[in-house]
Amino acid sequence: MEKIKIKVNGKEVEVSPGKTVLQVLKELGIHVPVLCYYEPLMPQGSCRICVVEDRGVLKTACTTPVEPNMDIKTDTPNVINSRKLVLQLLFSERNHYCMYCEVTGECELQDLGYEFGLDHFEFPTFERKFPVDNTHDFIMIDHNRCVLCRRCVRVCSEVAGHYVLGEMERGIDTMIIADMNLPLGNSSCVSCGLCAQVCPTGAIIDKRSSYLGREIQSDIIYSNCDLCAVGCGVEIYKKKGANFIVKIYGDWNSEISKGILCKVGRYLSLFNNKERAVGIRVKEEFGFRKIHEDNLVSLIKSKLNNAVAYVDGSLFNEELELIKELFKGRVYSLYPNDSPIPSNINIEDLDNSNFFVIIGVDLNREYGTIGSFVKRNVIGKKAKLMVIDKELNSLAKIADYVFNIKDINIALDILNKEKEVTIIYKNLTESERSLLLSLSNAKFLHLPMETNSIGLQKLGIKHEKISAENVFVFGKNLEGIKDLPIKNSFMLIFTPYEDEELHKGDVIVGITDWFEREGTFYNLEGRKVKKEKVLKPTFDVIDLKEFISYMLGKTERIS
Amino acid sequence: MGKIKVASIWCEGCSGCHMSFLDMDERLVELINKGLELNATPITDLKVPDEGTDIGIIEGAVATDHHEEEVKMMRERCKIIVALGDCAVFGGIPTMRNYFTVDDLLKRGYLTTESTVDGKIPISEELGKHLPKTKAVNEVVKVDFYIPGCPPSADAIYHVLREVLEGRIPKLEGELLKYE
Ligand code: SF4
Ligand code: SF4
Ligand code: SF4
Ligand code: SF4
Ligand code: FES
Repeated sequence: MEKIKIKVNGKEVEVSPGKTVLQVLKELGIHVPVLCYYEPLMPQGSCRICVVEDRGVLKTACTTPVEPNMDIKTDTPNVINSRKLVLQLLFSERNHYCMYCEVTGECELQDLGYEFGLDHFEFPTFERKFPVDNTHDFIMIDHNRCVLCRRCVRVCSEVAGHYVLGEMERGIDTMIIADMNLPLGNSSCVSCGLCAQVCPTGAIIDKRSSYLGREIQSDIIYSNCDLCAVGCGVEIYKKKGANFIVKIYGDWNSEISKGILCKVGRYLSLFNNKERAVGIRVKEEFGFRKIHEDNLVSLIKSKLNNAVAYVDGSLFNEELELIKELFKGRVYSLYPNDSPIPSNINIEDLDNSNFFVIIGVDLNREYGTIGSFVKRNVIGKKAKLMVIDKELNSLAKIADYVFNIKDINIALDILNKEKEVTIIYKNLTESERSLLLSLSNAKFLHLPMETNSIGLQKLGIKHEKISAENVFVFGKNLEGIKDLPIKNSFMLIFTPYEDEELHKGDVIVGITDWFEREGTFYNLEGRKVKKEKVLKPTFDVIDLKEFISYMLGKTERIS
Repeated sequence: MGKIKVASIWCEGCSGCHMSFLDMDERLVELINKGLELNATPITDLKVPDEGTDIGIIEGAVATDHHEEEVKMMRERCKIIVALGDCAVFGGIPTMRNYFTVDDLLKRGYLTTESTVDGKIPISEELGKHLPKTKAVNEVVKVDFYIPGCPPSADAIYHVLREVLEGRIPKLEGELLKYE
């Protein structure tokens, strides 16, 4: 496209049309303060902090497109005074007494106060009391700190696709509300936490990380969530020099999730209250006795003959490879891991789908990030949605079609008439599978049961029940032990958490989990993603990868 | 340069700002050597500033009619008024009561606090009466300089006084400008 000529602070520059003044100024390296603007969101020009002067008229840089003959000035007294006035009004309209605020020192409004050297309020303040909403498990809204930038509203809708937040009233009386003014805790909020991540002030805060310290006091570790097979990109804030995590943010640069997280990855992952399996225990006549790691090594060596290993999809590729090597390939999966119909669409391509079919999974409860991709297109861009389920699905209320799985035939009639459909499914029976395969216009996204189901597939680890004299189990979910052919077998279980099934084991070994271990897994797109080690284990547990490497003679010592 | 007369008063505040003032330590002596003269201050316990005082420093928000009178007197008698600390500058913690009526405030303070038995709301003529709203100083009189902070650092106070003593207009920037 042909470039257009504009003047910026007296100098002539050529810029591409279609950009906003803010984008152009940023490219020119000219600082423009912003508040309501947030890069991943559609600009909406509600705060007026970014104003610049164009031929004598103040315009918001974030929403004004460049046009020929513009004469932009970014720091005239008119511009500065206007920004200062807006700031004064923002500080005065609600309670911005930073001393009591959780985000003080890390607040975009406060930063602007410093940038413009505000040293007092020009308008009276502390006149009106706004409510504080503490009804949500993880998020608190203090309306007294809100600057009505609507970043939260935009992110909840445009990005996260949940459309929970909105506003009511007008002008200074505007209030950010959830649903039709419900307390956040009783609303349709799915706790993805994106609103708290983007709020520039202390208005929406994440309760768990409150008062645990600022971002500059944290090391930021980029990693991926391994709590389901999506593998969302996360930014982990770990307190500098300490062994705890302050908070988890979605990583805007993640190719998988593009900033979105679900409740599990952002909040639940930090509330790890399950009882840990610790130490190495050997079953004896009157109960379990703890033994030393050296004894475990010789014990394992003596049991490796006529042994099979069972693993689950919580294990990383590196661990699985080592286990395969140790057991000379006699490794089986505790759970089925094949995809009835393999995926042939990436998560990011969901944004280009016009018709979604969701079968047997409630995306507001699990695979929340996939839910965001679907919902933002269905509600925001009016893609069609068909929900096929046995039970009530919370996405049914936004669906164009809702079917019981029994009526899949009728559903297929409709789907056949569409140009292209994206089918997101979890489990299928054989007949459902062949019915769906008859569709020639369908793309599939399989939501595997376990985080690394695809890794198990790739490593050729199949779900089979093989009996052996010695059975080794490695994994987090021990349900599957119930179905193992383990009569008369000697069983060794490596697991991170206490579990009912553990009493069946003859030897129980506590292993690392959570943020204490690192490794790679394949997400549901088949993309290899990495989970970083963030914390030092505080329990008496062994790291599987290190331990098995040692067993195999690959490393000398177990640290 | 001649002497610079400084007076200070303490309205609804916690005295933290005056503590910061004293925290200038030996720099106070330096300022005095440069010509700073303290007349009425809570430190010297003289209550009424001289006519023609150069700098009047006000700590605390304006909460009662007495504060209002004192602040107005300061404005009349001092050439430069400095609001010292968040309460004087923004209204600060004392303005938190603006969310309630004066009646509620007095009841809560004197009658319904958990530790009060048979409380009474004092009514002596000697006492200042609460204004309907607690105010920052600039809502009552014109203020020339603001030193925010709770309390402001001794460095900030020193900086302002020294600049005035040396005939410059003080400007608080960087580490010296703090709202917390
Ligand atoms: S939100 Fe920001 S400006 Fe408002 S009180 Fe908190 S730190 Fe201060
Ligand atoms: S947590 Fe997520 S769903 Fe809930 S209000 Fe915030 S952005 Fe919306
Ligand atoms: S709650 Fe935060 S993000 Fe939402 S409008 Fe208020 S200040 Fe902006
Ligand atoms: S969708 Fe899965 S990977 Fe993403 S944050 Fe939630 S649990 Fe973690
Ligand atoms: S940043 Fe442009 S109007 Fe808010």
